[in-house]
Amino acid sequence: MADSGELRKRTFVVTRFDPDKDQVPKTQSYEVPCRPEWKVLDALNYIKDEIDPTLSHRWSCRMAVCGSCGMNVNGEPKLTCKTSLAEYGDTVEVAPLANFPIIRDLVIEMDGFMEKFKAVKPWVIVAKEKAAEEGTYRQSPAQLAAFKQFSMCINCMLCYAACPVVAKEPDFLGPAAIALGHRYNMDSRDEGAPERNEIFRGEGTVFSCSYANECSEVCPKHVDPAAAINQSKLLAVIDWATSFVVKREK
Amino acid sequence: MTRPSDPQAMTPSKPGRTRTAPPQLPDDFWTRPRMRTYLLFDATGIVYLLVGLIALRVAWALADGAPAWDALLQSFASPGYVLFHILALISAIFVGVRFFRLFPKAQPAQIGPVKPPPPAVLHALLYAAWGGITLVLLAVFGGIWP
Amino acid sequence: MRFEPQEGNPLVEVYRHDVVIVGGGGAGLRAAIAAVEADPKISVAMVSKVYPMRSHTVSAEGGAAAYVPGSEDSLEKHFYDTVKGSDFLADQDCAEYFVEQATPELTLLEHWGCPWSRNDDGTVATRPFGGMTVPRTWYAADKVGFHMLHSLFQHSMRFDRIVRYDENFVTRILVDDGVCRGVVAIDIRSGVMRMFLGRAVILATGGAGKCFPFTTNGTIKTGDGMALAYRAGVGLKDMEFLQYHPTGLPGTGILITEASRGEGGYVLNSEGERFLVTRDYGVGQKAELGPRDMISRAEILEIEAGRGLQGPYGEYVLLDLRHLGEAKIMAKLPFVRELARTYIGVDPVYEPIPIRPVVHYMMGGVDTDIRGATPIPGLYAAGETACVSMNGANRLGSNSLTECLVFGARAGVEAAAYAKGSADGNEARLRSEAETEGARIDALRGRKKGGEKMSVIRHEMQVSMERGCGVYRKQESMNQTVAELAPLKGRYADLVLEDTSKVFNTEVLQALELGNMLDVAESIAIAAAARRESRGAHACRDYPKRNDAEFLHHSMMFFTPAGPRLDKKAVTITRFQPEERKY
Repeated sequence: MADSGELRKRTFVVTRFDPDKDQVPKTQSYEVPCRPEWKVLDALNYIKDEIDPTLSHRWSCRMAVCGSCGMNVNGEPKLTCKTSLAEYGDTVEVAPLANFPIIRDLVIEMDGFMEKFKAVKPWVIVAKEKAAEEGTYRQSPAQLAAFKQFSMCINCMLCYAACPVVAKEPDFLGPAAIALGHRYNMDSRDEGAPERNEIFRGEGTVFSCSYANECSEVCPKHVDPAAAINQSKLLAVIDWATSFVVKREK
Repeated sequence: MTRPSDPQAMTPSKPGRTRTAPPQLPDDFWTRPRMRTYLLFDATGIVYLLVGLIALRVAWALADGAPAWDALLQSFASPGYVLFHILALISAIFVGVRFFRLFPKAQPAQIGPVKPPPPAVLHALLYAAWGGITLVLLAVFGGIWP
Repeated sequence: MRFEPQEGNPLVEVYRHDVVIVGGGGAGLRAAIAAVEADPKISVAMVSKVYPMRSHTVSAEGGAAAYVPGSEDSLEKHFYDTVKGSDFLADQDCAEYFVEQATPELTLLEHWGCPWSRNDDGTVATRPFGGMTVPRTWYAADKVGFHMLHSLFQHSMRFDRIVRYDENFVTRILVDDGVCRGVVAIDIRSGVMRMFLGRAVILATGGAGKCFPFTTNGTIKTGDGMALAYRAGVGLKDMEFLQYHPTGLPGTGILITEASRGEGGYVLNSEGERFLVTRDYGVGQKAELGPRDMISRAEILEIEAGRGLQGPYGEYVLLDLRHLGEAKIMAKLPFVRELARTYIGVDPVYEPIPIRPVVHYMMGGVDTDIRGATPIPGLYAAGETACVSMNGANRLGSNSLTECLVFGARAGVEAAAYAKGSADGNEARLRSEAETEGARIDALRGRKKGGEKMSVIRHEMQVSMERGCGVYRKQESMNQTVAELAPLKGRYADLVLEDTSKVFNTEVLQALELGNMLDVAESIAIAAAARRESRGAHACRDYPKRNDAEFLHHSMMFFTPAGPRLDKKAVTITRFQPEERKY
């Protein structure tokens, strides 16, 4: 079991920004005595509790499932509750998540993501809703496996911070949103693939992705959004082709 | 430490209640090893553009008759052209290998009744196809076949 | 619908909806969906201090219980298991309603996309769980809360009439003429005060595990809704009953799901002995699948007997999954493996996991009836925040996720119906109350004067609660905790705050949360000290037996300006007369 041994002093260079006081973000350094088993988040909480209560950051579950604590640590998007300090040296840079507007210190604006999220219609679309009395749908383990991986996204947005296309093309739907739309497209209970494929070919087009694969490299939950996006490209094309052959209900 | 992303990156359609600082990228975003590989991968597009222009030149020379054709073939022997074609070959291999590596996970689990073969099989098929087409083309241009 | 705030100096912005829901977790989202489905015309405000997908429902792992049609289970068995698990303190009409509604609720969730794990024939799979005589726990690998929350949240996005106000922190319930009229909240991003006027308000803010130092709960579980209702005059019921989950990681308190025992895991002491089998801890044949309170107590007794292991965060015992094999662990418990490796450096395929009891759930909460209604007209509560009571003195694992759905839906429907038939309050009076609240927050924010540090008071509260209201309680230490909390509240009034900014000021939020926790902690300690018996999760060393003659009632804590007042409320017993709780 991890032992709580010697404390190690590390310097944390943290981005600070208060729109009422600062024109632009700046950095502030803190000396933190770190326990060996600490994650980056433990150091940030130590700073807030013991050194500087004016530091604002988001966090909650501290077990890598709520997705609140995404930040750029030494330039890489990380879940700070899951990232061990043992990976770092004497100086650790903590910045807000890349590619997002910054509200305050380490807190980024999330509503842009929420809009893209909702745009892919992430819910089960069926022509006729089933009543509870009719029981559950039958879904085989294989059918579940077809989309299960893509349902594991915790909305931490690390993929958006890593994606070169998100950095340059504001309209792009982005990895998590496309992966979620794909999750529903692949769910045997859903009938909404034509609608979502049209969205995938639209303004936020999945074809903006040039398969950098950075999103999948940083994803802490192994969702593999790059796989979802590139699968979606193929399916969106097939959907477009079949739409000329098969009559669609609008 | 950071540089700007697109000023509109991840910005909501309606501005929020408070002023935000613009979205940022880490300074070394484009120079990290994985990103360098990816940028190189995309940059090989220039090589293909040039290959396309060379193809036009070949077509032009064909139309102009035998002396123009001979002159063209002679010019291909020059060091510049040889180096370029070696570069084009390396680019094609680099892109091919990376593309083949990422290909299996770009296949949906199922399209209608069709399921893709496992990744090992897909890799084998892709490399076999690549090898096979290369051999056929070498045979054709080498005059061996048909 | 949502009105944009008025121009010209709104000290307080006003938003009008029919129903206002505080909290965006499992119960809150389910209530919102139920309300808009019940009435196609009403608008629902969902006010949460975090974005809904961050709600702590997300961390639940094991499963949700419901009768599976066609199986060997029955509603009667689920009803009996729940009542017995509650040590006969559950209101049996509520427990019966709960088991009846469980299957339709989980079915609806399935229709809304929840990826329940399946049997080969496509039907929903179930697993055994603690205290359940028959396997009836539906599961989605070992991340049920995550899948449930995300399915609910994504489904709720279809309804334009659910208007979300994310990252708005509710600080006060507005009650006018004895009727609930809405809430006052801070917009966390801008610091602006807002008044959400609604004909009905539903509290769904979860429990208060952060009153303790070691808990499975995330930092947002600070008992806000409970404190709000308490200060508005609603009683807090059965606060002394805290569930200690037997398998939490030492130090962090991170949850290792009961499903790891449901799939066959063993609990061992330092001698490698399966003490739940070899020694008599009241769980009988069920062994590791006994109810949580009994297993937690067994672990503490083993540690006290010197058969625990020593670690940097105290003593612990072991959870052994090695015999399940890697394949089964990766199929059924992948998240458990990831958590153990990441947070305690142990791979459960090869080594047993260190575990100890940690605070997990509060059986007690805001006093509601079977409809989710509090005694204040227009004020409702659901989920862990509420105490219906269906869990009585001890909750069975996998009942609470279903509880969020069943009573979230009921509260939503009832609130919608109530909102339709009621009138608005005196807005001028409410606005003035909101403005006073805003001034209070402004005075608190960044007030540099004060001698007390927040982290110190929080830590002292947590240490005191751990000492007095642990798994085993002694009258003396409970009394001591009660005595320690009152001066802590005094010191809280002298808190110093540094952050003067209005934009995303999390320091002032932490201060408000600490105030809520102190009120909740006090209720827990006083109720615990008054219950001179052992029942369910409340195990008092001085009174080791259950005493139905004197204590078969709910405890009620009421806020008064002179201090907390303890009262009692009868238990509704319909079918099952209290008997000895043996497994």
